[in-house]
Amino acid sequence: MKDGAARWAPMAALLVILVVVAFPFYWMVLSAFTPRAVLFRPPYQLVRLDLSLENFRDLLFATEFLVYAKNSVLAAVGAIVLNVVAATLAGYGLTRFAFRGKRTFAFGTLFSYMFPPMLMAIPLYILFSALKMRNTYLGLILAHMAISLPLNIWIMWQYFQIVPLSLEEAAWVSGASRLRALREVCLPSARAGILSVAIFAFALSWNDFTFAFILQTDRHMFTLPVGLATFVEQTAIHWGMVMASAVLVSVPTFALVFFLQKYLLSGLGMSAK
Amino acid sequence: MAVAVRLEHVSKHFGRRVTAVDDVSVEIGDREFFTFVGPSGCGKTTTLRMIAGLEAPTSGRVYFGERDVTALPPQKRDIAMVFQDIALFPYMTVAQNIAYPLRIAGLPRPTIAEKVERVAGILGLTDKLDVKPAQLSGGQQQRVAIGRAIAKEPKVLLMDEPLSALDARLRAEMRTEILRLHRELRTTIVYVTHDQVEAMTMSTRVAVMDRGRALQIDPPRAIFHAPSSLTVATFIGTPAMNVLPGTIVKTPEGLAVELLGHRTLVHPRHHGALQGLARVDVGIRPQALRLGPARGEGLRGVVFLREPLGLEDEVLVELEGGGRLKAVTPSALELPEGAHVGLEFAARDLYVFHPDSRQALCHGVDGAGR
Repeated sequence: MKDGAARWAPMAALLVILVVVAFPFYWMVLSAFTPRAVLFRPPYQLVRLDLSLENFRDLLFATEFLVYAKNSVLAAVGAIVLNVVAATLAGYGLTRFAFRGKRTFAFGTLFSYMFPPMLMAIPLYILFSALKMRNTYLGLILAHMAISLPLNIWIMWQYFQIVPLSLEEAAWVSGASRLRALREVCLPSARAGILSVAIFAFALSWNDFTFAFILQTDRHMFTLPVGLATFVEQTAIHWGMVMASAVLVSVPTFALVFFLQKYLLSGLGMSAK
Repeated sequence: MAVAVRLEHVSKHFGRRVTAVDDVSVEIGDREFFTFVGPSGCGKTTTLRMIAGLEAPTSGRVYFGERDVTALPPQKRDIAMVFQDIALFPYMTVAQNIAYPLRIAGLPRPTIAEKVERVAGILGLTDKLDVKPAQLSGGQQQRVAIGRAIAKEPKVLLMDEPLSALDARLRAEMRTEILRLHRELRTTIVYVTHDQVEAMTMSTRVAVMDRGRALQIDPPRAIFHAPSSLTVATFIGTPAMNVLPGTIVKTPEGLAVELLGHRTLVHPRHHGALQGLARVDVGIRPQALRLGPARGEGLRGVVFLREPLGLEDEVLVELEGGGRLKAVTPSALELPEGAHVGLEFAARDLYVFHPDSRQALCHGVDGAGR
């Protein structure tokens, strides 16, 4: 048995870190529910009871928040679906087929992941202008995929490598076609990988500012991160609304992490090997 | 004998350097239990995978009956296969695993349920049908894998070292089980193993493979008693056959084999095979050696190591003229290490092999035919 201090010291350290990390979130939530009139009036209280939904009402009915939200959701869903399909097929191909330049391709995907988004945003702007794909959902989704797909292919490649080939062969000699074996035997075994891909695709798309800001110049095509930035005006910053929208934007991310943390952790554990 | 599977000059190369299977031709009869046996890397599994359609031969043809199936993928061959690593679908229950090939064949649900019931009954899995494979023991998992293979009622059942993942006791149990299945199902089984006991006890015929070649294709008895070459002779049989350098000498009574100064007369019917040879390799199975008190005649040596196995001991004897021989003796003999012993053997137990080609020249130098 360890003595008391040795046991509690790590806990205490964790608690300190938790406070440092969690306090901004707490302050965000508290500010979002604080009426505008009292937000900047001292004393600033750590706990207060005069809460209101005023900021949320203004946000939802007086701004175009819902339009931005719709755009963000569409872009994220599109990015998730296309990422999962493309990363799964590419990862499977890399695992099961031998072709020239396979290693180069695999490392190339990882290499391309290392470019900062800004470096690609300008060329994409020129390209999409020519293709008339600026201010479209497809354009934004493809831009998001340019960032997330390389790593996602890499993730699926790793996951398929741990699915034994004999499982698939067992399906083949049972009469299953290659595609059916992939669907019924490989995919269930790589489920954690697919979830990781989906989460990563969502996170990148949902949080992206650079591409949306540069490619989506039409106000009606703004996504949440870009839309939120418009609350910061030259003469005034609507802090209450900024905080309220920040709360709403974080909800899906929190929900996702909360429900899927089991798979996220298994994915992290694998890539660490 | 109707032919179930026929390989015609089949070879398989991996890249430019590796020859996994080298010109193998074999006919496997209907309802035969045919085993490919050999050390790891001998090409036995690759041969099986070519029968399955999981590998394409570099050259040669594969026939099922009269039909050339060389170009057919595994899905279109009437086969089922049991894999070395069992390869059950982890996300499906036992029943779903067994039903998988039937579902793909598009059988109606009641028929599938009925067949799964029956297969589970045969393999003693009836109370495990709703369980996932991970909750089963190794032996039960292997039963499920066999169940999935036989549910399909294939013309040819392929088994790739199906027992190698099991412990010794389970292996013995499953051997009996598979033999029983072979009798009940009356199907053709093509079996791959590196374990000669499995090969010898289960098969109707055995192909001994080494370095991609099928060295000998015969029933187990013939493989044991009349090995075609030194490689087969030393691979089959436990402990391995002893090999000593010998010479063929002319004596007034005719040809004789001389081992460390000890001569054994060769029956005239073998003279033709041994004519003109001087040096030969001579094989004696450890079971054929009798150890006794050291006398003037015969080979003599000192007990170097004794390994008690229960009823019998394996005894390693250091010979006076150099070299070592392994013998299997009754434990009751209780030979202490360091004891001086004489070794006796009969003319019929001497196997003579060509020193260069390693081919067998005669199985026993007595007059009996083998």
